[in-house]
Amino acid sequence: MQVSTSLSDALERYLDLTSEQMKVTASNMANVDTPGYKTQGFDFEAEFARQMQSTVLSGDANVAQVQDVDGLVSRPDGNNVSMDRESMQLAKTQLQFRLGVELLKHEYSGVMSAIHAEAK
Amino acid sequence: MNLFGVMDVSASALKAERVRAEVVASNMANAETTRTAEGGPYQRRHVVFEAEGDSSFQSSFVSHLGTNLGLNGLGGSVTAANAVSGGVAVTGVISDASAPLRRYDPQHPDAGPDGYVAYPDINPLTEMVDLMGATRSYGMNTSAVQAEKNMVSSSLDILK
Repeated sequence: MQVSTSLSDALERYLDLTSEQMKVTASNMANVDTPGYKTQGFDFEAEFARQMQSTVLSGDANVAQVQDVDGLVSRPDGNNVSMDRESMQLAKTQLQFRLGVELLKHEYSGVMSAIHAEAK
Repeated sequence: MNLFGVMDVSASALKAERVRAEVVASNMANAETTRTAEGGPYQRRHVVFEAEGDSSFQSSFVSHLGTNLGLNGLGGSVTAANAVSGGVAVTGVISDASAPLRRYDPQHPDAGPDGYVAYPDINPLTEMVDLMGATRSYGMNTSAVQAEKNMVSSSLDILK
């Protein structure tokens, strides 16, 4: 049996993507007062589905395709960052990250209990 | 509904209430504005909210249960990403058509030949009540977000 399973591989990609999402949200929040700044983002589900298709774990294939988010209201200075959208995104991504970490912990606790069972 | 669907509903409400507060702020700021680009005094603005789709408990329940129970014959499955939209959207910001208030002030540059100036019909009390309503609703929805976060968190604790 391998310690690294397809589930932990998928979870690694999931966690990678959540940190990517976190980075994008943080940069949007940082630019809340930058004139002319446009909110950046990517479709999490679509991006995750795309990354699951690729066989290589790292490299260019795993870089999320970040683009301008449309449908947001621009302020007179051309900035369209919505603090509500960003804080919701932050809360959501935190929970997603926790979900990934908990699943990974659960995954490894099975292996750990197998190790401890042998030592007894 | 997906795991974060409820949060999206609350997010739409936060966005809408913020727009409402912004409009109230702009009404109060322009309470004495006698000149606008369209000509004449500033017109009080209203926000129009619209419900996004049918989000009643019954309709969601029926769409999840599907036909097996013979409820209205609506199809659906629990595993499929059922789009229970819910939420609120700002349909538009409309101008109040009420007639301007006329105050006698012949020295004012915008006074008419009769010495009366047209001021916007804005009552600070109405605006303050509206602003408080918006603030309260915003707070209420942030509490809902907090509750939803706790729900997702406790569902994660099942793993432990």
